Amino acid sequence: MASLPKRIIKETERLVSDPVPGITAQPHEDNLRYFQVTIEGPQQSPYESGVFELELFLPDDYPMEAPKVRFLTKIYHPNIDRLGRICLDVLKTNWSPALQIRTVLLSIQALLASPNPNDPLANDVAEDWIKNEEAAIEKAREWTRLYAKPK
Amino acid sequence: MTAEGGKGSERKRFFHEELEDSILEASLENEDSFLFQQPDANGAQPKEDDEIEKIKNVIPDLTYSQASNLLKRAEAVDLHGERISTAVDLYFESSPTNYKSSHPSSVQKAMQPSPAHSSTESPKPLNMSITTPTKRKKALEGSSHKKRKHTIEWRRFIGALQVNALATRPTTKPLQYGTKLEIIKNLSDNPASRLYTSNGKKKASMANYVRLFHPDSRREVGRVPENIAQILFPLADTDELEFEATMVFCDNKRLSVGDTFIVQLDCFLTSLIFDKTEVRGENKFSQEKRSFSQAVVESDDELEMRSRRLALLALFDQVHMRPHVDGVDIITNSSEKEVIDLEDDSTGEDIDSITNKDHTIQNTQIQQDVLDLKQLKSFYKSALSMESSKILPETTPPPEVFKLDLRPYQKQGLTWMLRREREFDLSPSVGSAEDVDGNMMNPLWKQFSWPRDLSWTTQRLEVQQTIQKSEAQLFYANLHTGEFSETKPVIKSMLKGGILADEMGLGKTISVLAMISMVPFDVKYDEKRRIEENDDVVITDQVFLNGNIVGSKPYASKTTLIIVPMSLLSQWQQEFDKACRDPSMRCEIYYGSNISNLKTLLTRTKTPPAVLLTTYGTVQNEWSRSLSQSNTGLFSVEFFRIVIDEGHTIRNRSTRTSKSMMDLTSSRRWVLTGTPIINRLDDLYSLVKFMKLEPWSQVGYWKTFVSEPFEKKDYKQAFDVVSSILEPVLLRRTKQMRGADGKPLVELPPKEVTIEKVKFNEYEDKLYKYFLNRAENSVKEGLARGDLLKKYSTILVHILRLRQVCCHVNLLGSQDENDEDLAERKGFTENVNVSNLIGQNDKPSGFTDDEFKIVLNDINDKFPSDDSLRGLECSICTSEPIDPVTQVLFTECAHAFCENCILEYIKFQGEKNQKPKCPNCRHEIDLKRLLSVKESGGKLSITLYDNSSRSSKICALLKDLKRLQEACPGEQIVVFSQFSSYLDILEAELSSSFSSSSAKIYKFDGRLSLKDRTRVLNDFGVKDLTRLKILLLSLKAGGVGLNLTCASRAYMMDPWWSPSLEDQAIDRIHRIGQINNVKVTRFIMEHSVEEKMLRIQDRKRSLGEAVDADEEERRKRRIEEIQMLFE
Repeated sequence: MASLPKRIIKETERLVSDPVPGITAQPHEDNLRYFQVTIEGPQQSPYESGVFELELFLPDDYPMEAPKVRFLTKIYHPNIDRLGRICLDVLKTNWSPALQIRTVLLSIQALLASPNPNDPLANDVAEDWIKNEEAAIEKAREWTRLYAKPK
Repeated sequence: MTAEGGKGSERKRFFHEELEDSILEASLENEDSFLFQQPDANGAQPKEDDEIEKIKNVIPDLTYSQASNLLKRAEAVDLHGERISTAVDLYFESSPTNYKSSHPSSVQKAMQPSPAHSSTESPKPLNMSITTPTKRKKALEGSSHKKRKHTIEWRRFIGALQVNALATRPTTKPLQYGTKLEIIKNLSDNPASRLYTSNGKKKASMANYVRLFHPDSRREVGRVPENIAQILFPLADTDELEFEATMVFCDNKRLSVGDTFIVQLDCFLTSLIFDKTEVRGENKFSQEKRSFSQAVVESDDELEMRSRRLALLALFDQVHMRPHVDGVDIITNSSEKEVIDLEDDSTGEDIDSITNKDHTIQNTQIQQDVLDLKQLKSFYKSALSMESSKILPETTPPPEVFKLDLRPYQKQGLTWMLRREREFDLSPSVGSAEDVDGNMMNPLWKQFSWPRDLSWTTQRLEVQQTIQKSEAQLFYANLHTGEFSETKPVIKSMLKGGILADEMGLGKTISVLAMISMVPFDVKYDEKRRIEENDDVVITDQVFLNGNIVGSKPYASKTTLIIVPMSLLSQWQQEFDKACRDPSMRCEIYYGSNISNLKTLLTRTKTPPAVLLTTYGTVQNEWSRSLSQSNTGLFSVEFFRIVIDEGHTIRNRSTRTSKSMMDLTSSRRWVLTGTPIINRLDDLYSLVKFMKLEPWSQVGYWKTFVSEPFEKKDYKQAFDVVSSILEPVLLRRTKQMRGADGKPLVELPPKEVTIEKVKFNEYEDKLYKYFLNRAENSVKEGLARGDLLKKYSTILVHILRLRQVCCHVNLLGSQDENDEDLAERKGFTENVNVSNLIGQNDKPSGFTDDEFKIVLNDINDKFPSDDSLRGLECSICTSEPIDPVTQVLFTECAHAFCENCILEYIKFQGEKNQKPKCPNCRHEIDLKRLLSVKESGGKLSITLYDNSSRSSKICALLKDLKRLQEACPGEQIVVFSQFSSYLDILEAELSSSFSSSSAKIYKFDGRLSLKDRTRVLNDFGVKDLTRLKILLLSLKAGGVGLNLTCASRAYMMDPWWSPSLEDQAIDRIHRIGQINNVKVTRFIMEHSVEEKMLRIQDRKRSLGEAVDADEEERRKRRIEEIQMLFE
């Protein structure tokens, strides 16, 4: 395995020593580019009091290339599909090497707080969301209760 | 010819037809009277009678006197005390000629010309088979008495030829199948000068003088073709060979003139040819030397010798006598040494093994004669010392004088070296000098095995092969001189010293130092001197040095002179200090001026240095001066021993360096080299000459037997000779060879060489295309007009330009300091104005003047002080601060990044076809709209960033180095380039990219003084865990000798034409002592001349560079290469 760039080591250290509230990120023992992430559902959102598991992987070209992030916990969200893939601009075209793991995870947390059904990834969810937002939010709450139980 | 089953009847028929005429009795009883009775009269013992009876039992047709005579002769010939069987052998061997043929009316009689005939046409007896009866009698008489030496004691069949003879006279009736024909040379007076012109060309057709005669009618029957006549003419009238002609086919009809008929020509070697050469050996060489070095007009004698030689060669060729392959010889030697020793091969046991050996011979003869070049190269390289490494015992130097542990193969090497120096007391289990030289055959001699006797006579006689079993199965011949021998002609060299040609990294230095510590001075000389002092007797040096070359020079008997390339001087000294424990042994370095009187130091003081280290340059310098005055320097003494390291330095014997080496005197001489052949076979000659290896150090000798055959593409001979010259004096082991335990000699950690392809940046691409276009036009023009050769150096310049663009645009305009062909063209300069070439639109700046001012103000406002500039953070690599500050690059939006980070980002975005945006604020950015920080005199200033001086290759290197620095900050790294100006650029770039706390940069090239070299290498060798150590090494200055095993990573910045030079460079770090995996990265620009150079390297690897013949060839090859570059 190629040696780990200093930047990744620095970021990892900071994630551990100075964690973001509501977010944890642990590098995998065997692969320091692979992180196990948990994000608490933001308050006043349908995901409140849920704890969502994600995985994050730093590709070889990181930080030139964005990290790859995916939800492992089932979630009902217009911008997150059944496979856990996330539609978020900073993970795609708006990535900048000045961004970091920490900022990416914060952006995801923010996405949970404010779903954007107009730029959907999960089309069926987005449709529900647009047709009947209240029902959709209720469904999201239910899913959070069902799947995102804190351990 | 005869079926096995028909033996009995055949035999019977033979006796009936040819013997029962009682021919023999009739003729031989005549001779009884005056010849054969004599021994009886002198008192025949009853024992003899017994034996004669026994012989007569075997051969009933013999008379008593005949048998008695046979016995006498057998006694003379017989070596084994079996007179009877020998006598029988003798009878069967020579019966057709000596006995049967004497009857006047027999068919066999045909073999002799009538007395009249021979007296008129052939004054000398041609050979036994065509001797007149009287002459034969004489010969027989001689055989039992005093003239034994000149008598044919035996003869052996070497082959039969089918000859298409041409009838010259009509015959009255068909010639019978099996009729013996005579071979007559009908030129009564035949000095060779009549047949040859003065320059040795053949004047007349020899076929005119060699005729076949019918035995009965004494008439000429026919002539043989010219090629056969050329064999027969010079050889037929010597007693050394015998020929028998037998009619085998004439279509069973009368011959008329011009008809062809087929004759079987049986060829035999007689004992005489071997008699003559018994005493030939080294003495012979000295005579021949003269004839090779001087262009003399050949005399009659010499012409005769020459035609004889040619005839022998032709004969051996015609009868398909093939010499043994040397390699096989070596192999069989080890197991059957006694058998080959021909002195005592009479026991039955030996015969068995000889038969076994015969099988090997058969097999090897099938081997193809012509090896291709590659095979030759590998043959030469591998075959030399494989055997010795298995056999050689190990010598361990005593720990009180030598501190280091030697590896097993080095101990073997030490044994070999001690033997070469004739220090037998020190090396284990060695008896004598013979073992040292081994059974080394004189390379000009070839080993042949006797073929099965298929001659007509033998076939008819059905004589069993077994009768010859007492004789050797092998014989030796020097077809160059026409000498023959039954015993192996062994060369004994008196030379003390040799060539240690172990592959790089096997520890030649250590081996030599071990030898020096064991034999630091000439013991014998010192003992003598002590005796001399005690006895107060004056003995001159010459007397007790016994043949060593001692002139008037005083003998520095305690000093070994070691000559090394300058870059290795300090390394040798360090190794010496590490290895030698004996405090009385010193090592001194001699520059020429630091020791005022070398002669006094070495010969007059009590404790002269045991090792004197000096450089080739010093020796050459002193040599140039010593022509006028030579009383105190290196040339004023005779050293005990001289060792030249990297001995291939002297390969070109016309250089002053090489000449100066030849003039140094010593009693022992050693050459160390990992690459005994660099370009051509003749490279070896200089080494041979340096060692004074007689006779090969005579240039004429070398030319005749090595250079000329090689030029004539007779590679096999040339290589055979070379390898047999070198076999005793050269030891070569390679890393791949396995020791006695079956393990490789050296187990090095794995080496990984990767090629990293780098893409041109936009600017380089433009420049490259420009130069490529120019070069291609030039080559096309040259090819079209056919004067590519004339334009050679111009084209080389074009290629150089392309290579320079690949490395760094700033190299343009400088010369290639390594390219000999370019260096020849002195005064070559070309002003390359890069910005002109690229055109106005490509100004480095993408700003208008106003824009630039605004941006500059922004930045100055944001970071008003130098301190604020020094504390910037790069958001890409999260370095804080960006260090050194010259690495800071500002975007037009006044955000700071590391130079490498932002450039890599821009490049990365470019590859994804995305517009680069400032990572911090997403403002669009542009490579040409960046600003950098300049530091001068401690003050910082912000200027426009000039991207044009950035080289993609250096960026790639920097990126790698940065990663390395992050991952393993204590790493030592070697960066190779062939351009020393490139090293300068690299040095500048690296030091502006790394802070002094993160990396230390060293540069080592030809311009470095000796003192600095030592300092640089020492410093580089010390590991510093906190920072990188980077050694910028010139491929040429650092390609040889240096030991850089402290580093395990290397970068090759640019490819070199010859792959071996690059391999050598890599071997600086991949050699003994290396404990880590070695990683080498070669940077190659994509779609560039460099990629094609890689292809040329591959080609060179497969062709084998060693046989890169001459200058012309080399040029031709390079033109092919040029075409490859532009195809």
